[in-house]
Amino acid sequence: MANNDLIRNFSIIAHIDHGKSTLADQFLLKTGAISQREFRSQLLDGMDLERERGITIRMHPVTIYHQYNGKTYELNLIDTPGHVDFTYEVSRSLAACEGAVLLVDATQGVQAQTVANAYLAVENNLTIVPVLNKIDMEISRPEEVKSEMEQVLGIRPEEVLGTSGKTGQGVDELIVALIERIPPPQGNPDDKTRALVYNSHFDSFKGVVIYVRIMEGRIRKGQRIRMMGQGTEHVVIEMGQFRPNPTVVDELGAGQVGYLMAQIKKLDDVKIGDTVTDAFNPAELPLPGYKEPKPMVFSGLYPSNNNDYESLRDSLAKLRLNDCSFTYGPENSEGLGWGFRCGFLGMLHREIIQQRIERDSELELVQTAPNVTYEILTKKGEIIVVDNPQKVPDSGQIEEFREPFITINFLIPSSNIGDIMKLCTERRGLFSKTEYLSPIRAMVTYDMPLAEVIYDLFDKLKSLTKGYGTMDYEITGFRAEDLVRLDILVAGKRVDALSTIMHRSTAEVRGRRMIKKMREEIDRHLFEVVLQAAIGGRIVARESISAMRKDVTAKCYGGDVSRKRKLLSKQAEGKKRMKQVGQVDIPQEAFLAVLETGE
Amino acid sequence: MIPHFPPTESTDPPWIHPRAAYVHIPFCAHQCGYCDFAIATGKDDRISAYLEALEWETSRWKQAQKPSFLGTLFVGGGTPSHLNPGQLARLCDLLHHSLPVRLGAEVSMEANPESLTAEKVKLLAQSGWSRISLGAQSFSRGTLKSLDRPHDPTAVRNAVTLVKEADLAVSLDLIFGAPGQSPADWQADLGEAISLGTDHISTYGLTYEKGTPLEKRVRLGMVRPVGEELERRMYSMAMETLGEAGYEHYEISNFAKQKKRCRHNEVYWANEAHLGFGMGAAGFVGLTRNLNTRDLERYIRLCAEGTNPAFQSETLGPRERVIETMIQNLRRAEGIESHRFFLQTGFEPKAFFKAELNPLLGQGFLAQDDRGFRLSHEGKFVADAVMKRLIRCL
Ligand SMILES: Nc1nc2c(ncn2[C@@H]2O[C@H](COP(=O)(O)OP(=O)(O)OP(=O)(O)O)[C@@H](O)[C@H]2O)c(=O)[nH]1
Ligand code: SF4
Ligand SMILES: [Mg+2]
Repeated sequence: MANNDLIRNFSIIAHIDHGKSTLADQFLLKTGAISQREFRSQLLDGMDLERERGITIRMHPVTIYHQYNGKTYELNLIDTPGHVDFTYEVSRSLAACEGAVLLVDATQGVQAQTVANAYLAVENNLTIVPVLNKIDMEISRPEEVKSEMEQVLGIRPEEVLGTSGKTGQGVDELIVALIERIPPPQGNPDDKTRALVYNSHFDSFKGVVIYVRIMEGRIRKGQRIRMMGQGTEHVVIEMGQFRPNPTVVDELGAGQVGYLMAQIKKLDDVKIGDTVTDAFNPAELPLPGYKEPKPMVFSGLYPSNNNDYESLRDSLAKLRLNDCSFTYGPENSEGLGWGFRCGFLGMLHREIIQQRIERDSELELVQTAPNVTYEILTKKGEIIVVDNPQKVPDSGQIEEFREPFITINFLIPSSNIGDIMKLCTERRGLFSKTEYLSPIRAMVTYDMPLAEVIYDLFDKLKSLTKGYGTMDYEITGFRAEDLVRLDILVAGKRVDALSTIMHRSTAEVRGRRMIKKMREEIDRHLFEVVLQAAIGGRIVARESISAMRKDVTAKCYGGDVSRKRKLLSKQAEGKKRMKQVGQVDIPQEAFLAVLETGE
Repeated sequence: MIPHFPPTESTDPPWIHPRAAYVHIPFCAHQCGYCDFAIATGKDDRISAYLEALEWETSRWKQAQKPSFLGTLFVGGGTPSHLNPGQLARLCDLLHHSLPVRLGAEVSMEANPESLTAEKVKLLAQSGWSRISLGAQSFSRGTLKSLDRPHDPTAVRNAVTLVKEADLAVSLDLIFGAPGQSPADWQADLGEAISLGTDHISTYGLTYEKGTPLEKRVRLGMVRPVGEELERRMYSMAMETLGEAGYEHYEISNFAKQKKRCRHNEVYWANEAHLGFGMGAAGFVGLTRNLNTRDLERYIRLCAEGTNPAFQSETLGPRERVIETMIQNLRRAEGIESHRFFLQTGFEPKAFFKAELNPLLGQGFLAQDDRGFRLSHEGKFVADAVMKRLIRCL
């Protein structure tokens, strides 16, 4: 078993795309964990969606070995995602480490998630090894970026190393710095066993694979273990380390990182953040663990075809085996029939989940417009949690309508400060502060309703700043606001799945925009289709789609029949992802009409 | 076409065993603006080779099958009347040998007014033809011009007279919704077709098929299609005017005097089996649809080599059969006849289409009785949309 002094545990953290996974490749190559022949870029990004999108979605731990000063060091590194939706993965990774490589792209400089992730590392008392990456690029500006790092994060320029994940330049020096600067893990292998469950995944052959960081004591194959939080006991049937392929070991001791399997069937039976101890010689107190992330964005997911409800349920259950951070529960919509209300960590997470379901199950899905969670204090003094606009009671019963607020940081070129302020003011933002990173870059902080952020703020930011702006946010709590439910009536009937919650001041304008957009998206029918927007029973806008007057093929003889059948069948299927509400076919685009900003 | 008395006949139902044949003659003097049929212009020197190929294809079928006598034979195009009298005689001859018809069979040929001479009409009448379908399209010079048709209105009148004198049934094709055509123009066309004593009239709303010269002109903004409302009105005028004149509206685009329905086309609308010969022709035999190559040279070459000129063949599954039968049947005044539909497809149509049938009946697009269901007057304007709704039941 490894001596603690020869172990280093660290995560690679950075803003999205700053090169974490590419740098991890260099670690694998330089230490011989993989050969040139086995190599492919961003090797740890193993999921199909990760490879397709070129981003990291899940954390990826790997154990490598390095000779230094005549000794072999065990380095446990965790590659983490950079996107804000997956911050939870970063915080879990950090809790399993003593150090963090904080990468900053030398061409981009400090960005919003650089700051957010650096703060997370500081909160976890980790030693930060600051690194400027992509120094091979001509347009890199190391000195400026170093001074930004000093300005915002208090990092001394002389501590900053330089690397290129592409050429491998500076990686040897980085490995040495990691060994020298990051403290070895503390725990004693002879104490009572406590291991942190920092991740898990579901393997369709072997069941649940639990990722552990041993804090104290040790775990052996065949040992009977207890999950302190869940109170369940299991026997370890296999354990090992990712090097990067799963490699079986007989024992892991304090300070080490690895995986174990104990014939656990469902991911839900394992709580991330739980503590593993010895069943016969248990520790007294569990480790602090994590706060569970709360999904903040919700939307309804319905099969286009009502008969697919059960298949959808099965594939949600299957997906949840692999991703506990999304939630789902059955819901019934008058208009759409049976479906599920799903909760996601953010918009990207939502998009990815939907894509995975459609891909795994070949189901066609319709999703309703996303909304955040609201809280309603009723006149009777109860608090209702509203994750679905359908749950809003009559306005007469509402004492207070509350929505989640966030603190949002924008890292932007100083020249865009005015634009961002205008954007935030339009979205009910309250200015908090501006800080200059350098004469040309600034961090602007606002308090804002989360609902104003999830739809398109990120895209707006990107276009206003020509791609140079980034943002990061954190939920701060709920506040009472003047909120209303905007209803949409199709052919005179309210379609519950089209209702949305919004601030009274914008509801009318958005209602009008919404049904205009719907009018464009809904095809003509055999009858006139009237669309209306209403607030509390009062109609605020009306559009109509006139009836189809003529649709008939003049000639249809022998040879044309099959051709015509194919044509009509294709047209009958209509746009992909469509839901029939009453007699009206509503395509996916119309369900998302509320996202239309009218620009 | 001297009719034969049938010897032993197949006992298979008409949707399995064909009793109708279509023969395609692709040659035309010039391409009309809206035409996307399988045609060949400027290829008159290939007519003789083509007839040879046709002879091979039709006789090959005759050898393969036990002799079967046809109830209907339809020679279409293209422009069959574009053949010169010698070629036409040869065509009659080869059909007589390989595609014998039974007594009382309907034998039709499509003809264009400008090429149908007295000599040709006489030849056809003597060879046993019973019906001529004339591509008149319009009696208005302006409309004919906008459609890029080479004949003038007098040619149509003359042709009708010739056919009637030979005692053959005559049908006229008329197009409405041509660019620039007014309701008054259309009314005049209908009036003239009636007053000529035509037995059968087909009215077609002009469509702009991809790749046709007319469609290209629309794309370039040189021609503006008439609006949906006007098209609807013209269709409505046809139903009203022809109805009053004693024509039965027996299919979406077809009107016939008593006993003058086109029986060959009724085979299509019943979705029954039929043979197809010639370039681009379609056959439907034993639940398999075959489509011949649309390439003239290829057709001639394949037949000369003794190879089947079909380029596409699709055997229909139950689902496809149900849809196609529904699509075709609904075009007829009779609509879907429950019992026959059941025999033909294995599905009871009212039960099968239940989910959409009731709303469509309620909205007035379909009508029903105990024999079956059919398009209502309103439903005829939006037949495709109604069919699409029914397709959804699958
Ligand atoms: N020139 C150059 N390009 C690099 C370097 N490191 C990464 N890249 C490129 O930058 C892009 C992003 O690299 P990744 O390694 O996927 O970035 P990441 O930080 O893991 O991204 P996320 O996991 O999505 O947060 C890829 O196109 C890489 O090829 C480098 O040192 N030099
Ligand atoms: S005559 Fe008929 S087949 Fe020939 S080009 Fe004109 S429309 Fe087409
Ligand atoms: Mg990555």
